[in-house]
Amino acid sequence: MSQDTMIQDIKAHVAKLLEDGTIAGFVGLIEQNGHVAPHLFTSGEKLSGFSLGDFNSPGDSRYPLNKTLTTIARAYPHQTFGVLVRGCDERGLFGLFRLNQLRENRVVAVGLSCPDALAGACECKKPYPDALVAGEKTQVPALKQVAQMDGKDLAQRFDFWRDQFLKCVKCYGCRDICPMCFCNECSLECEDLIKKGDLPVEVPVFHLTRAMHMADRCVDCGLCDEACPSDIPLRLLYKKTAEIMNVEFGFTSGLNKKEKSPLSTMGPSK
Amino acid sequence: MTVLSQMLAFTGIDQERLRARWVSSAEAPEFVEEVNAFIHTLKKLGPSPLKAAKGQEEEPA
Repeated sequence: MSQDTMIQDIKAHVAKLLEDGTIAGFVGLIEQNGHVAPHLFTSGEKLSGFSLGDFNSPGDSRYPLNKTLTTIARAYPHQTFGVLVRGCDERGLFGLFRLNQLRENRVVAVGLSCPDALAGACECKKPYPDALVAGEKTQVPALKQVAQMDGKDLAQRFDFWRDQFLKCVKCYGCRDICPMCFCNECSLECEDLIKKGDLPVEVPVFHLTRAMHMADRCVDCGLCDEACPSDIPLRLLYKKTAEIMNVEFGFTSGLNKKEKSPLSTMGPSK
Repeated sequence: MTVLSQMLAFTGIDQERLRARWVSSAEAPEFVEEVNAFIHTLKKLGPSPLKAAKGQEEEPA
């Protein structure tokens, strides 16, 4: 399905939602002055400049729209908003419903599927949302990265990750861009755990702390990986955490709407 | 524990270096036994590779 048809499909769908008052606004992407940015579309604008975030290549301009939505929803708790979602964003929405950051009846997801190239690059487990409005269900690509790393021996893995972790400049970009990071008090800023202004970071404490906190949250959107100025393969790290959660507890963050996190339940289930 | 020990292994740190045991405060001998066993394991494993990594980074560039 072509880009233009997808844009048209979404525009028509959203215009209808805005018109009949189902939603007060639509959180999407806008192309303006040669850039793509998050934008809250309201009924007057007729969705001009609406973009899917494919600036040079598919999905190269993505933003944590759920984060924008959460901020807006906090300011206008009695309004319903629409939001543009890819597969990962929808998993994020389900997670945010589960963690009481958004109210399900106040959010209308408008979904688009990802092209094969993007799904493959992401090694996405579900490259299309349930609320599919534009595009067709994309094939789930083969998952290789984690197995590749698992195939190396302990010393090789140690050298690899030590080199990666030492590159960290502690900009907190991974946390700030993360749509699932919303805590008011962050462990990574706790003076007792992480010394302020100290570089390099303590290997592997800093990165594993975040990985552990992401265990039942990470929806594998890969924004942290894209945001990292040092190009640390954070996504690979969190992919492994997610794999452990899946193998040990049969849990995949955001895949099922009602699923509770095994880390917040005690004792045998049921 | 399950997740963390596997994450350590993934980042190249021996899982044996992490251990969690539940011992009651009334069971001193068991506590001693656990700690000694852990010390024994660690001695066998030798110094942590992280120590070497730290030494490296402290060298002036």
